[in-house]
Formats: sequence, C-alpha cells, structure tokens
Amino acid sequence: MNDSLKIQSLRLEYPDKLLFDDINLTVAAGSLVVFETNVLDGATSLLKGIAGMLNNIQGQVWLGDSNLLTLGAHERATRVGFVYEEQGLISLYNVFQNIALPLEFHTALNPNQMESRVLATLDSLSIAPSLLEQQPHELNDVQTRLVNLARALVIDPQLLLIDELEGGMPDDMIDRTIAMLIDRGKTLGSITLMTSSHERILREADRVLKIDDKQLRETEF
Amino acid sequence: MTEPHDPDPNSSQDQLTLLGPIKLALNPILGIGHTILELIGLISVALSASPLLLNKKRRRIFLSLFFRQIYNTGVKALYINGAVAVLIGAVLISRLFEYLPQQVFNEQFGYFFMVIVFRELGPLISGIILIARSATAVTAEIGYLRLRREFQVLNGLGISPVFLFLLPVFFAFPLSLLLMFIYFDLVVFLSSYVVIWISDPSANFLVLLLAILDQISLNEIAINAVKALLGGMMIGVISIHFGAKVEDSYSEVSDAISNSTTTQLMVFFVINILLSLLAYTQ
Repeated sequence: MNDSLKIQSLRLEYPDKLLFDDINLTVAAGSLVVFETNVLDGATSLLKGIAGMLNNIQGQVWLGDSNLLTLGAHERATRVGFVYEEQGLISLYNVFQNIALPLEFHTALNPNQMESRVLATLDSLSIAPSLLEQQPHELNDVQTRLVNLARALVIDPQLLLIDELEGGMPDDMIDRTIAMLIDRGKTLGSITLMTSSHERILREADRVLKIDDKQLRETEF
Repeated sequence: MTEPHDPDPNSSQDQLTLLGPIKLALNPILGIGHTILELIGLISVALSASPLLLNKKRRRIFLSLFFRQIYNTGVKALYINGAVAVLIGAVLISRLFEYLPQQVFNEQFGYFFMVIVFRELGPLISGIILIARSATAVTAEIGYLRLRREFQVLNGLGISPVFLFLLPVFFAFPLSLLLMFIYFDLVVFLSSYVVIWISDPSANFLVLLLAILDQISLNEIAINAVKALLGGMMIGVISIHFGAKVEDSYSEVSDAISNSTTTQLMVFFVINILLSLLAYTQ
C-alpha cells in the first residue's frame, strides 16, 4: 500500500460558478495532508472530486497507476474511503450494518470475519460497541462522523478523504483520532486528505494547502 | 435597438398565436410519453441488474431487503385487506343470498363469487390497498433518501442504489399483491359463509367451496396472476420513479407521493380493465 497520489489539472465548474481550476498536487504515501478551509471555498467539492464522486470533474487523479476518475465502482470503493461532514449514513441500516456495508459488497469475508473487522475498527476509534445497534437518526453529529470514519476505515483504503471531522469534538478526541490516522499512514503507507480549519489538526499535518483564487496553494502553519 | 428574444416556449406571445394552444395541449401528452419512456427505462434497469442476484453474497443482502419489503407490503397489509374482505363478504354475498331465490343462489353461488370477487373485486381492492398503504410509503422513503443524499453516499461506496432499493420493490410488490389476492378471496368466502350460515344453518361449507372451485379455471388463475405480477411491478416501479425525482425540498416529497398515487391508480385500473376485457370478452 505504498502508492503515491498524483492529481493533474483538476477542474470543477458548475454552470454558474468555477470552483477550482488546474489543481496539481503530488502526495507521498503515508502522508496526512490538510486543505485549510474557508466558507464555500470548494474544499469539500475538491475532496469529492478526488474521490471520483462528481460527474462534472475534469482532470486526472492517479493513485499508483490507477486513475480514480475512470476506475470501476468496485475497485474505487476498495481503495478510497470517504468521510462525510454530516449525514452520510444509510438510514435503512443500523450502525453495525452501515459500517459493514463495504465489507458486505466488496469483500468475500464471512459474517464472523466481518464482525471481527467492524469491532476492531470501532476499538481503534474508541467507539463504544453499544452504538452498533443504534439507528443513524439516534446518533449525534460527532457519533455520526465517527461511524462514517469507521465505515471508511473498515475496508483499509489506500486513500482516505475526510471532510471536516472535528466539528463538536472535544480536543482529546481530535488528538486521539488524528494520532490514529497518522499512525495508520506510517504503518500502512495510506494517504489521508482532510479538510479542516482546526488548529490542532493543521498543526499535525505533513502539509497544509488552501484553495485560493481557484488554485491550490501551499501554506505554512 | 435589438428586439429582446424570449426563449420561453410557453411565452404569452406564443399563447396568442395558434402555436400556444397546440403546445399547451401537447405538453401533457409529451409529459405522459416521457414518463412512460422513463418507466420502461427503469424496468429495463431492474431486469439488467437482476443477474447480480446470481452472486451468493449479493443474494443474501437482497433477500433480507426482499423479505423486509414482503413483510411491510404483503404481511402488514393483511389486517386492512382482511377487514375490507370481511365487509365485502358479509354484505355483498350475503345480500345476494337474501335477494336471489334459494335455488338460483345454490346453482349460481360459485359463478357469482368467481365473477364478482375473484375476477374483479379481489384484484382491484388489493391493488388499491397496496397503492394506499405501501406504495406511498416507498415513494416517501425514496424521496427522503434522495433528500438526505443517501444515493450519492451509496454510489461513493460503490454500491448501486438500484440493487438496494429498486430490486427488492420490483420483486416484492408483485408477490405481495398475489398474496393479497389469495388472502382477500379466502376471507371474503369465509365471511360470506358465516353470514349465509347464520341465515341458513343447513348451508354446507364444502358444497359452497366446491361450487367456487368448480368455476375457477386455469385461465382465471393465469389472468389473476398476470394482474398481480404486472400490476404489482408497475406500482412498485412508479413509486421508485417518482420518489427518485425528489431533489432538494420536502415539498417535492408530497408532490412525488401525489403524482405517484395518481399514476398508479390510473395504470392499475387500465391493466385490470384491459386484462379483463381481453380475457373475458369473447
């Protein structure tokens, strides 16, 4: 899992607005990169664009030798995990089923193996197993984001994209979660791209970038 | 000074010319044609996604959703379906028993039951209950899933919403409707027998049952099965179609339910009438 990420000439334009243009970025395996956000600066769309979730995106996103924008749904889902800032869970399913969903669809694991994987992921995020039987509407915002994160992590993606993880989280929880992500990057060589404006997260990042005038610019923190 | 160009096809200028009324008259027809094409598209999407069920693991996921849908649609509807059937059986058939001469009733009970209940009322009332109880719920559910961007989430997870939402409804609705037909006919018969028995304790249960069974040919069963399968499939697909049209606002959900119910009633009545005409007008 030591593939680097190479973004080339990424452009996203809606009929009424150009969000970003000619975005180029290379990220080494194992890195944590943070896009420092401002309101409506297009950072969330940039993350979704990198994940191949937007139809109107132009450019190329290479993870190793695969272009994520042309990759099949199954292969992309096993290599890329996405964490939503809000909602993002399937209301048809409880927490356990939500987290196990990628395993159900994209692996050959049996139910016992899936349960072990889900429990291990919950443990790594210090999420109480009592949450597993709850429905998405019973969770608060922080719990929803953590379950989103657990679902993204459970399949061990090479590229993890996280949109504004920190809202409402106490500092110690932020520190613990970021430490886990950094450790995961070092151990597995996976890449994490996050949007954030939180000082604690910006401080821990290997690189901090910002969308400024439709372009991605490196900033010092 | 250049004259401003009005791109609106229904502009007031158009409406003053001959073109305006023609367009106004054509728009609903074009809209119906467009909806029919989209429904055909949705049916072909469901059929082309069906081979996914050959995969054992996918089939397991599908079956849990399929049985959930059967439970919500077919099993939970038994109460209201049964209640309506009791009323129909008690009132309609027992009235016939009251008004017809005893000999005519004894000879014709099976035929009356088959023509009135088995052929027409059973399918029609079960279909209306399916539309009112379950199809509206599915339209609302799909609409809210769209509002909450859950389809986008599923696509991001590499999971087709067609598999999770369309296929279970596509297969469960026809089967549920068939179960509702059978249940309805059964309860109408039992309740009508009870009322007849109260009036005439000598009425023989087996004789009445055999009189009905004697009238139900394979042709009758086939027509009813087609009504259930085609009607149920169309009701389900229409629910998904209108639910999936919801984009941004809650008011779109109520619009979707309203449009979906109107279309379902229309389509289901047309299917029933056409099949009855084709099968029984000779």
